[in-house]
Amino acid sequence: MRQKEWGVAGLKIQGLAKSYREVRVLENINLDIASGEFFTLLGPSGCGKTTLLRTIAGFQSQDRGEIIVNGERIDHKPAHKRDIGMVFQDYAIFPHLTVAENVAFGLKARSLPKSEIRTRVDESLAMVRLEGYQNRLPAEMSGGQQQRIGLARAMAIRPTLLLMDEPLSNLDAKLRIELREDIRDIQRRLGITTIYVTHDQEEALAVSDRICVMNKGNVEQIGTPFEIYRKPLRRFAAAFVGTMNFVPGRIEGGRLSIGSQSIPSPAGGIDGPIEVAIRPENVLLAGDPHRGEAITLKGEVRKVTFLGREAHYTLSTEAGEIVAQVADPERDFIEMEGRPIEVKLPLGRVALFKSNGDVVEAGQG
Amino acid sequence: MMSRRFRFDIWTFVLIGAWAILLILLIWPLSSILRASLIDNETGTLSLVHYVEIFTTRVYQRAIGNTMIAGFGGMTGALILGVTLAFVTTRFHIYGRAVIQTLAVIALVSPPFIGAYAWIVLFGASGVVRKVLAAIGISIPPLYGVAGVIMVFSFKFFPHVFLITSGALAAINRSVEEAAESLGVSPMKRLFTITFPLILPAISASALLTFVLSIADFGTPRIIGRDFNVLATEAFNLYGGEVGENPGMASALSIVLIALSMIIVFGQRWVLRKNVYYSNMIKKPERQQVSGLKSLGLHVLAYGIVLFGALPAIIVVLFSFRRTSGPVFQPGLSLQSYEKVISTVSEPIWNTLIFSSIAVVAIVITGTLIGYLISRRPSFATGSLDAILMVPYVVPGIVMGIAFITRFNDPPIALTGTGLIIILAIYIRRLPYSARSVSAALKQVGPNLEDAAVSLGYSPGKAFMKVTVPLIVPGILAGALMSFVTAMNELSSSLVLYVGSTITMPVRIYLSVMDGEYGTASALSTILLVMTVAAVYAAFHLSGRKESALL
Ligand SMILES: Nc1ncnc2c1ncn2[C@@H]1O[C@H](COP(=O)(O)OP(=O)(O)O)[C@@H](O)[C@H]1O
Ligand SMILES: [Mg+2]
Repeated sequence: MRQKEWGVAGLKIQGLAKSYREVRVLENINLDIASGEFFTLLGPSGCGKTTLLRTIAGFQSQDRGEIIVNGERIDHKPAHKRDIGMVFQDYAIFPHLTVAENVAFGLKARSLPKSEIRTRVDESLAMVRLEGYQNRLPAEMSGGQQQRIGLARAMAIRPTLLLMDEPLSNLDAKLRIELREDIRDIQRRLGITTIYVTHDQEEALAVSDRICVMNKGNVEQIGTPFEIYRKPLRRFAAAFVGTMNFVPGRIEGGRLSIGSQSIPSPAGGIDGPIEVAIRPENVLLAGDPHRGEAITLKGEVRKVTFLGREAHYTLSTEAGEIVAQVADPERDFIEMEGRPIEVKLPLGRVALFKSNGDVVEAGQG
Repeated sequence: MMSRRFRFDIWTFVLIGAWAILLILLIWPLSSILRASLIDNETGTLSLVHYVEIFTTRVYQRAIGNTMIAGFGGMTGALILGVTLAFVTTRFHIYGRAVIQTLAVIALVSPPFIGAYAWIVLFGASGVVRKVLAAIGISIPPLYGVAGVIMVFSFKFFPHVFLITSGALAAINRSVEEAAESLGVSPMKRLFTITFPLILPAISASALLTFVLSIADFGTPRIIGRDFNVLATEAFNLYGGEVGENPGMASALSIVLIALSMIIVFGQRWVLRKNVYYSNMIKKPERQQVSGLKSLGLHVLAYGIVLFGALPAIIVVLFSFRRTSGPVFQPGLSLQSYEKVISTVSEPIWNTLIFSSIAVVAIVITGTLIGYLISRRPSFATGSLDAILMVPYVVPGIVMGIAFITRFNDPPIALTGTGLIIILAIYIRRLPYSARSVSAALKQVGPNLEDAAVSLGYSPGKAFMKVTVPLIVPGILAGALMSFVTAMNELSSSLVLYVGSTITMPVRIYLSVMDGEYGTASALSTILLVMTVAAVYAAFHLSGRKESALL
């Protein structure tokens, strides 16, 4: 991995809030993004990602809060003086200009010499693998190519910050993966601080240095893809990223009970209803080897879904429905349907969430 | 409490400028009409006597009723003719579509007032067509009264409907209709349950336009209506002093007229309240090939409508080449009417060209900026700007003229007798057309394009010039064209505002008809018609667009 200069504040956002009329779209956003970082805003649609991004770009003003780039407050600057590159969901390619003119557009505003503009246009187009398309009109190009123009156009001005608002969501699945790898490679090579918006959790996990999970105008959790996936701090993040089973439980008098099972609680000091969360790949079926403590539940295989690399068993257990992932399914996996089965939820892999949505820290109390 | 930072950019100045224009050229002059309508002639004090009189006197009650009849009648007739023609020409293969469109444009631009005269020539008491028909034993009643007025309005205003709705019909996503077809909906039912609702914005916009045009027209009821009095003719008589001057009463009648139009304006907004349909072109409708009797019928229908609509213009052109002696047409052909026009009355030609050109340049520039403001910077200030822009739409030209005379007669702004006052009246009356066609064109341009330009380092003003303007040029041109055509043919406000040296062609034509100089009037009308059609085709040629781009 590329050496990062952690601690050098590329972008700092403090106490940012924004409302439309009475609706609070951003509540109180605080972010600290390192220079060179690939930072992703992840959340369901309508949670305020675009609003946050457009506020950073300066297309709209915040009600409260500060935006600081490399130590300098920029929120008073008009958008065109911020030197922030932007890539749009709908590409926003100028339809009346050729590919080269699109890429040169921002350079002309900076009155660079003609030869310099030419070099940079060619460079940028080469970077997004669109050499030779200089004189085409955008209407003659595919969606994926148009978004490459959008990226080249934004990068040509060598911005201090690159913002991308769901740049891949209008493309088909295969192209999406191809282009996201390209974006990630280019970003690493140039080391440009990037804020990337998506509602696709898989995409976020694949490209980001860090992810900020947002919900209803609030930050739910910030962390590396690994942390977000493996150590969700909020029920929302746990449910939104990847697949997660939730079964209801209760902690009372130092014991955790689920269904008819009761074991010593891994976390002390709290009493009341909780939810036990576990990912399908961590659910163990009878026969799977395991070490350490686990909750054992009785149930029955209700449905089997074959997904190629893996299969999903949907199990009805005494505590509720649980999906278990079976890696590399055997030939006879389909015959499991309707059979009784015992599942184990290893305590090392479960997370407990309180009714307010916060995770129960192990050993809390 | 939230503190909201307000950013000052070029659009702030445009907003302030737009409000200043509307205040000075619209609200302030019109306030004089409202004020006059509320002043008792005898005592000079504020009172509602005029309004009381309007709603209690038989003749005015009848005028209100007749106005509604003329408005709805003209609107209905124009809608039926216009939508039928639009549907036939966009959905079926019709030979000579260019001819049809040209005839529709001719019907649209045929000079005001003289059209009514031409209808009389054809269908009046001693009308040519009636005589011919009588000779073969068919007797039809002369074209006077309510039926005549509605018929003339229908054929005069249907081209607006045709041009607006054929654009919309051509832009319907064909898959939607095909989906209905596959669900087993009959063609006729499909038309009323799918197609028309989809083009409701276009239909309701043209309904509004034709209603307003119908109730503001005073020439047609005057010449053809006979005892069919409407608010516009009553107001004109009281302003003009033919039945004794009574500006208070005339003003009150004007206000009632405006109020009636406003009802329709709000009606249209109500009809469209839920309409958020944006056409995204996936599959264009195709023209169906038909043959045999059906094809013949469709051709007769389409050509019948446009030929009949263009008839007054055709008559006028023919008459302009007839020999005259004084007001009487003589047998034989001659260019004497044109010689007379060139030798004695060429001034109006220049005035018309100069006034319309200046007005249109001003309209295009400010209309583009305002149209942008309304569609891209939604706020309370721009929303109310949009609403106020509907006012010139519904204020009859005469009323606007009177309001201008009242307010711009004395300092601080003394303009009476100048060409500028005529230009300004045309300007404010046609500004909404331009602003609206620009905001319609902007709907096709993604708002992100400008943001992209701004993020690349262009100020909002520059981004607009570099990105948006090139993309909405067709819309701007269409608006400019419509403004130019209507500016050249503007009669009603100019009639109030002209003096000898600022007379325009429509006014000259009106005066010639009134003086019985039909030869001169026909020659002038023909020249005006040729100039207008030339302007239309120049604009289409320049923009590479079809007639349906109008409005
Ligand atoms: N111009 C606006 N006026 C009013 N509400 C808006 C406007 N733009 C966005 N919103 C609302 O703000 C919320 C957040 O929108 P957005 O930032 O676009 O979300 P996201 O990009 O995460 O999908 C949504 O509920 C949306 O309806
Ligand atoms: Mg968004």
